[in-house]
Amino acid sequence: MHIELAKWIPWIPAGAAVLCGLCAMKRQLRMASALICILAICATFGITVLISGSFSPNGNDPVKPRTVEVFDWISIWGQQVFSSRISAESYANENPGSKMIARDGTDGEKEFVVRKPIFVADFSYLLDSLTIVMLYVVTGVGALVAIYAAGYMAGDRGYARFFSAVCLFIFSMTTLVMADNLLLLFLGWEGVGLCSYLLIGYYYDKPTAVAAAKKAFVVNRIGDLGFLIGIFTAYIRYDTVVIHEMISTVSATMQNGATDWKDHLIPFMLMLGAFGKSAQLPLYVWLPDAMEGPTPVSALIHAATMVTAGVYLIVRLLPLFEISPYALPTVAVVGAVTALFAATIALCQYDIKRIYAYSTISQLGYMFLGVGFLSTAGGIFHLFTHAFFKALLFLTAGSVMHALAGQLDLRKMSGLRKKLPVTCWLMFAGCLALAGFPFTAGFFSKDMILAATFEKGINEQLILPNVMGVIGLLTALLTAFYAFRLWFRIFTGPEKYEMGAEHHGAEPDHGVRTSSSVQVEHVHDAHEVSWLMNAPLLVLACGALTAGFLGHEWIERMVVASTAEPARPPMMDEGVQLHGLMMVVSGVISVVGVMAAAYFHWLNRDATERFADRFVATVRVLTNKYYVDELYDAMIVRPLRVVGGIFYQVDRLVIDSLVMALGFLPRALGLAIQPSQRGALQGYGIGMAIGLVSIVVLVLMAIASGHNS
Amino acid sequence: MVVSELHSLVLSHFLFTGAVLFIFGLVGFLCRRNLIMMFLCTEMMFQGVVITLVGFSRFHGNLTGQTFVIFVLTVAAAEAALALGLVVLLFRRKRTLDPEAWGELQG
Amino acid sequence: MNWLLDLMLVLLLAMPLLSGVVLVLLPDLTKSMVRVFSLLATLATFVLSLIGACFFDWSNPAALSFVKSVEWVGAFGLQFGFGVNAISMWLVLLTTFLMPLVVLGSFSAIQDRVKEFFLWLLILESAMLGVFVATDIVFFHICFEFTLIPLYFLIGIYGSAQRLKAARVFFLYTFTGSMLTFSGLLYVAWRCDWVFSIATLYELAPQRLSEIEQAWVMGAMLAGFAVKVPLFPLHTWLPLAHTEAPTAGSVILAGVLLKLGTYALLQLAIPIAPIAADQFAPIIGLLAVVGILYAALICWVQKDIKKLIAYSSVSHLGFCVLGMFAFNAEGMAGSVMYMINHGLSTGALFLCVGMIYERFHTRQMSQMQGLAQIMPVWSFFMVFFCLASVGLPGLNGFVGEFLTLLGAFRAKYVLGPPYAVMAGFGLIFAAIYILFMVGKVVFGPLKVPRVENGHCLSCDLNLREIVTLTPLAAGCLWLGLQPSFILDTLTEPLEKIVEHLPQRTAVAHYTVDYPRIEVRMHMPMAQATKHAGL
Repeated sequence: MHIELAKWIPWIPAGAAVLCGLCAMKRQLRMASALICILAICATFGITVLISGSFSPNGNDPVKPRTVEVFDWISIWGQQVFSSRISAESYANENPGSKMIARDGTDGEKEFVVRKPIFVADFSYLLDSLTIVMLYVVTGVGALVAIYAAGYMAGDRGYARFFSAVCLFIFSMTTLVMADNLLLLFLGWEGVGLCSYLLIGYYYDKPTAVAAAKKAFVVNRIGDLGFLIGIFTAYIRYDTVVIHEMISTVSATMQNGATDWKDHLIPFMLMLGAFGKSAQLPLYVWLPDAMEGPTPVSALIHAATMVTAGVYLIVRLLPLFEISPYALPTVAVVGAVTALFAATIALCQYDIKRIYAYSTISQLGYMFLGVGFLSTAGGIFHLFTHAFFKALLFLTAGSVMHALAGQLDLRKMSGLRKKLPVTCWLMFAGCLALAGFPFTAGFFSKDMILAATFEKGINEQLILPNVMGVIGLLTALLTAFYAFRLWFRIFTGPEKYEMGAEHHGAEPDHGVRTSSSVQVEHVHDAHEVSWLMNAPLLVLACGALTAGFLGHEWIERMVVASTAEPARPPMMDEGVQLHGLMMVVSGVISVVGVMAAAYFHWLNRDATERFADRFVATVRVLTNKYYVDELYDAMIVRPLRVVGGIFYQVDRLVIDSLVMALGFLPRALGLAIQPSQRGALQGYGIGMAIGLVSIVVLVLMAIASGHNS
Repeated sequence: MVVSELHSLVLSHFLFTGAVLFIFGLVGFLCRRNLIMMFLCTEMMFQGVVITLVGFSRFHGNLTGQTFVIFVLTVAAAEAALALGLVVLLFRRKRTLDPEAWGELQG
Repeated sequence: MNWLLDLMLVLLLAMPLLSGVVLVLLPDLTKSMVRVFSLLATLATFVLSLIGACFFDWSNPAALSFVKSVEWVGAFGLQFGFGVNAISMWLVLLTTFLMPLVVLGSFSAIQDRVKEFFLWLLILESAMLGVFVATDIVFFHICFEFTLIPLYFLIGIYGSAQRLKAARVFFLYTFTGSMLTFSGLLYVAWRCDWVFSIATLYELAPQRLSEIEQAWVMGAMLAGFAVKVPLFPLHTWLPLAHTEAPTAGSVILAGVLLKLGTYALLQLAIPIAPIAADQFAPIIGLLAVVGILYAALICWVQKDIKKLIAYSSVSHLGFCVLGMFAFNAEGMAGSVMYMINHGLSTGALFLCVGMIYERFHTRQMSQMQGLAQIMPVWSFFMVFFCLASVGLPGLNGFVGEFLTLLGAFRAKYVLGPPYAVMAGFGLIFAAIYILFMVGKVVFGPLKVPRVENGHCLSCDLNLREIVTLTPLAAGCLWLGLQPSFILDTLTEPLEKIVEHLPQRTAVAHYTVDYPRIEVRMHMPMAQATKHAGL
């Protein structure tokens, strides 16, 4: 059966990662690594396409999830020893999953050991329609980005290292979305974190890149600790970490209503992990800095795939979140607040990639908003469309960087429409989708989320969803504005630009290679990128424009057919239907945003300055990103380091000297009695004689007193 | 007969002889100012103890004490060889046998 | 073949020792001949232990295999008892696996008094193996103590600047502790009618010793074993000794010597004084947690790479102890896994640092930066082992870390979620200090210290060094993906260890309500069924 092929999905990229790593050793083989990587990811995409047929729901037939086992990983077995085969067998039959072995006991008789699993987490994959959607995103966008990167990274000395890490990333990410137990999911989770670390720090001779990589890893670790505690709690609550077993227990619990504190703790802990990986408040700080990595990485990892893992986690484990009445609303509130928060920061940034990074944070907030109000389909749909348009935006930003030798500052470029015609219109498509312009992909997915939010608020007469929905609308307005602020700034107005300082793709090379046509060209002037790089962008642009109306029914069916189907779906039939209205409202909002951006950043740029002057304080706060980095640094990082320093001194001075003082005692004693041992031989003799005599006297006295009594 | 004469010896004879030898040795060790003489005195103390052991061995009617004596004599012989050699070395260094000359060996 | 199996452990113990004797007796060896000879000797020991592993009775991992006793002082019942269960077998394999790599890693680092150096290494190997194969307490203690002597000389002769102080502190610290331990062990033996066999003591000691006696005995054993582990606050010898020791010494210290402490806690302290172990567990757990966090924070402010890794050992061994005192299958199996994993990854890190020290004659992080540019292969290994050390899933460190924390989290009576959560912060700190070090040394703009003879300014690892590190890396990856072949063999011997622990069921000082059945070890029940003849 070709479903068995699924087990190769992670391992083909894993093998490719090793091959690429080996290619790094030989300079001549470096170019081959791109080919290996692209082929590997395409192969996984092919397998995804092959198996997806088996998981597409037809009509109302539920699609059975499939589990594909690869090999045992971590398992702990308990055992019972029996002396007869019959009792052993009956015990084994009572405990499913147990194994019986016979052996010679210590007393020479045969004994029978029944081993039953206490804790099991294997390398086995869960395949259902949700997994398929995620696989499409990961491998599809992955393949396109890899092709783009083959051109973008050309001439870089870490070429093979780059592709090795990308392959490793695809391995981890596919493992993450295919994992059938929480621990394997955690492996993928940390694995993508590692690849993110390696790729953010790709330009490792740049201190800022190294710092950003470290920050990403550490902030993610904070979330991961939450995740890990969530796994522990889930294990003591459900006695297993296998996802579908947990979910069936949860369904049972939900029916009989017997919840306890652990049911509430689990979703909140897992949420912490999701917020870390998906860069939500308060753990979002790493993502903007992560833009130090090469642009294809930002597109693939920090926009399209890895950062959406948090959304995937919540959708995958939806029943675990539904069981606690506080969990999902919290998700929604955090999502909405983050969406607005990040969108406001994006308004005042000048670094193209950072604007997109904040935009990603904001859009991820949107997804959480959707998931939080049980519109899992909306959340995943937005994840899907966002993967297209955000990858497109990042890659076009990469093209701009490529053209301008690494220039990222909006203030230093203008009117590039003529120089970069293709990039210009590709980015335009991406911006439209991001702004949620009518009938683009983002339009449909945002509409789905907002409609679901307001429907929940109105139908169940709750205030919270309505407030969050308004925040969502406000965010949509800001999104449209900042997306086009950027586009108008780059491509319209008078043509003037400064080349950047560095040549990405041609890092300080220590004289290794100099002859790349791309590189030689862009040293001279801004130029359009090669078609190797533009072809994947075209595909993404098509997706960004059309995935909305082509995909939304398919996604909805796929998501609802998986574990992510809400157990208590919002009242679809009775309540009001807001999709039509929402389309109109959000369409208008998006057009207004675009118009405003056009006015301030294309037609009348001076007005922007005057406008900004009126709100100096606000602008300063926004430009400095609400001073959150500084706050964290002052409140957490520095105090901890000071504590570390204090501990070290305590260790050296207090604890060590205490022990040393103990060690000094014998020495002091020795010094005190040293004078009596100065080498006078007969002195020693007298001492011995006195000792001897006194012992004898003592013994005699003892004997004498013994006789007396 | 020799045997009967021996029978007339009782334990206290042995002990007395041993104690006298030991005390002579001890006093000699403490008073003499000559390393070789001091060493010989320690040997004398040894012999005192050895005689005591033989006496007790006879008294108890078993051979344990005498066995010990053989060991002690062996060790004493080895030790005498070593110690005299050392004394000769010390003498060569300082041309004197006075133990006070080595008093600067402080721990 | 039978004689080989019969004498397996004796041979294993004798092999390095005899090789050492041969090494001394052979005259006129050149330095390289000495090196190759030692390498062959340690390799032969490894092969022998592999043969042992092949013939070990894995179907019954709790039982002692290759049992052999050699009479010593019969009148006092003293003998050299040999035998291994699965836990000891794995640690024996760890030791014999590390030794050839240590020897290989010291080929170029040691240039003076070469013969003596390798002699000490071989003696040390025998002593360490002795601890793992001993089945009676006197033999055990002799070997446990005897490890100090070779290490004292290894540190004192071949160490760096402060080596004498380090050697002295190391010796006094560990020796003082183990004197107390020995008195405790003798007391136990006395109370059990001078029985020295560990297996018999498992049965006798818990019955003979009262609760108070157990507490004292536990205290005495902790005095020696906790120093060796080292448990906070008895750890201050470790940074000094690790830092000053030659690379080989550091690797053995971190890889095997520290495990003698945890191994002894596991195989001696807990089963001999079970009630005390149960009572002490919250305190020991607390010390472990404090040690984890305290040492991790200290790591962050270190300037010397080797010292950083040394302190990280203190932090890591905290996890090991924490899992052990959870007294459930997950925690204890995790703890044993942790011993093995820590031996591989931290040992490898010390080797990596040693290679840097050989090249640049400094270990100060401020003096070097961005080595990835000139030493890509070294950087690969360094980052790899660092990741193993911070517990990246898929590499070995994670398995132990996860299971120990899970065990501590799930432990119902002794430890519990607060312990695991607090210890969990250690994972974050570990990421901070390890990445801090990687960011300083491996990445960043290139900065290399001036070397006087300047012969290896830009040289990456040579073949010998790659060969040294590759088995360790392969081991890390393999144990990370396939730990179950070890884990499967652990639960049964561990069951034996916790057999006599108090079985508290209803009343608990830890009152959070768990709805599930505590899958605590239920060996007594199993025995009951067995005796009832069911």
